[in-house]
Amino acid sequence: MATRENSREVILADVRAGLGRAPGAPVAARPAIPPPRALGAPDQEIERLLSEIAALKGNAQRLASADVSTALADLVRAENVRKATQWSTAGLERLGVTSCLRGLGVEIVPSDAGIKVFGDVDLGITEADFALAETGTLGLLSSPAKPRQVSLVPRIHLAIVPARAFRADMHQVFEEAKKQGYLVFITGPSRTADIELTVTIGVHGPKVLYVWVVDGSWAE
Amino acid sequence: MDATVKQIDFRRNTQGVPPNIPASVQKATGRFLGIRAGVVGQLPNWEELREAAHNIRLHAINHLDHYLEMMEKRVTEAGGQVHWARDSAEAGEIVLGIARQHKVKAVVKSKSMATEEIGLNHVLEANGIHALETDLGEYIVQLAGTGPSHIIVPAVHLTKEDIAKLLTQKLGVEAPPDPFRLAEIARQELRQRFFAADMGISGANFMVAETGTLVIVSNEGNARMCTTLPPVHVAVVGIDKIIPDWESLTVLLRVLARSATGQKITSYTSFITGPRHSAGEHGPQEFHLVLLDNGRTRALRDPVTRQTLICIRCGACLNVCPVYNHVGGHAYGWVYSGPIGAILSPQLLGTKIAADLPFASSLCGACAEICPVKIPIPEILLHLRHRVAEGDEQEAAVSPVLARAAARLGAMVYGTPWLYRLTLRVLELAQAPFRRDGWLPRLPAPLNRWTMARPFPAMDGRFRRWWAARQRGKSQ
Repeated sequence: MATRENSREVILADVRAGLGRAPGAPVAARPAIPPPRALGAPDQEIERLLSEIAALKGNAQRLASADVSTALADLVRAENVRKATQWSTAGLERLGVTSCLRGLGVEIVPSDAGIKVFGDVDLGITEADFALAETGTLGLLSSPAKPRQVSLVPRIHLAIVPARAFRADMHQVFEEAKKQGYLVFITGPSRTADIELTVTIGVHGPKVLYVWVVDGSWAE
Repeated sequence: MDATVKQIDFRRNTQGVPPNIPASVQKATGRFLGIRAGVVGQLPNWEELREAAHNIRLHAINHLDHYLEMMEKRVTEAGGQVHWARDSAEAGEIVLGIARQHKVKAVVKSKSMATEEIGLNHVLEANGIHALETDLGEYIVQLAGTGPSHIIVPAVHLTKEDIAKLLTQKLGVEAPPDPFRLAEIARQELRQRFFAADMGISGANFMVAETGTLVIVSNEGNARMCTTLPPVHVAVVGIDKIIPDWESLTVLLRVLARSATGQKITSYTSFITGPRHSAGEHGPQEFHLVLLDNGRTRALRDPVTRQTLICIRCGACLNVCPVYNHVGGHAYGWVYSGPIGAILSPQLLGTKIAADLPFASSLCGACAEICPVKIPIPEILLHLRHRVAEGDEQEAAVSPVLARAAARLGAMVYGTPWLYRLTLRVLELAQAPFRRDGWLPRLPAPLNRWTMARPFPAMDGRFRRWWAARQRGKSQ
């Protein structure tokens, strides 16, 4: 370990020598950043988000909270879902996602199941913390109630987006999220163009992305 | 990829370029440039963003010591461990040490130029640890036993038929030449490996000093897999990747994907600060950051070449470069290719090893025009050519003594009118035996390097005589 301590000092000394800076020399102000985009009217923002995601071959729609159970039944049937896992947020609970899935005969796999079991889950359901209409981007945080693998390992990811998730720009998201330890932006399903530039959806991440902007006060 | 490259011979490398390379490379680069133009056109303030990106990156590099110390402090506070590596060997030892400590057998890797640079896979392999590349393109070139030929599409030089054959041979499965089926085969194969891996290795696109956060972009999701599933995450990152704060990201993320693939943003962008806080949220229990120098502090010393370090590795300069488009990535002899490779490799490896590269350019300037962080690449190319030819404060000249003598002689001839006239006369006489219809179709070595490709126009020396006669005519 002694050499490593030394490497730190050597590298920092080389950096300072190269720049002609003394240790603790003053730091100029960070150059100016162009101002953020302004938030549009709520309906416009939702429309923009949905169209951006659709353009990336995601399945995006706007729903009334009363229609979530019907939409879930359609999804389970269309995608042949047998096992699902989900975030434990108050919002998803109020929407009755778990009981609805159980009623459809879907097995609920706990997020702390081992990877061998978790790897076979068909559907992961999250509640987006942030939504950026401009690029069709969802922002997801991480906590024991919001485990990271739910949006990553299952072959289908369903993100339910409340109205309060919308932010004008990355600036606002970063201001709120930067102290959280983890954030992931998800923009459309997993994709590659590595073989002859043919766009192929669903490589390592989810093959299918559903995004439902659900109206109502369920997430408040 | 060989981390201990001895000498890059660009001319010889170009002669080994397979005939299908220019067409497949141009198909990719043309596509990227087309889509890029579309998304850049949608932004009203593209030039303003480029200017800001340039200023932010240069500010970070100009205060590198300050931000590195801040990064180290924040990562440590978040529960991560920071290591410093002066060169490839040291970085390899550090990663190997962490792997041994955890009795690691299988590593999954997401695409990282820094680990290519230090030849990490070979180091691990030599010590009985298998490191699997998981980016689809990198996975393919790893199976093929070669290195990436494009910074964004590593397997751009292979056709779907090549890839189908490769997967059939290496995996023993029936692989049809269909991109969708091939991607599905790779998905199935790699999925089990992600689940079984003891360690994930990644690079990073940015390090945010403000909070000690790594930012990693990916489209396939393999970077998320590598940094979420294995119990240990090791990131190997060049010290140049640092940026001051999250506000800076609002600019840099906007220009990165647009310049690289013509996307507004990549499918996934992960912002990772230290290891997980609790088992329930998933993610690695341990997080290590290896800060890699490997020649970067040397590049800092010269204020002109220092600007090379603001690069964000988007690959746009490759796409637009006429030289890259004709020879592909492998001709550049090391991990970095295209215009950025031509200026970065000589600085990281030393001019002695990569003296050819600053000359592998027509100086057309398209790279500087497209660069999202406005690196003055042609200016740096010229600066490095000067270093190769005449030496500077950083390094001694490396061009052959004979070439330097010839250049000095040339300068003398051009600068002395009577000597110039005399030389013209001599050359006119000397060319006589080779002259055919106003051309020199064949010349003896070493001048045949030109005539092997095309005839050389014969020298007439008529212009001065014509000019003199014209002046006389006017005065009459």
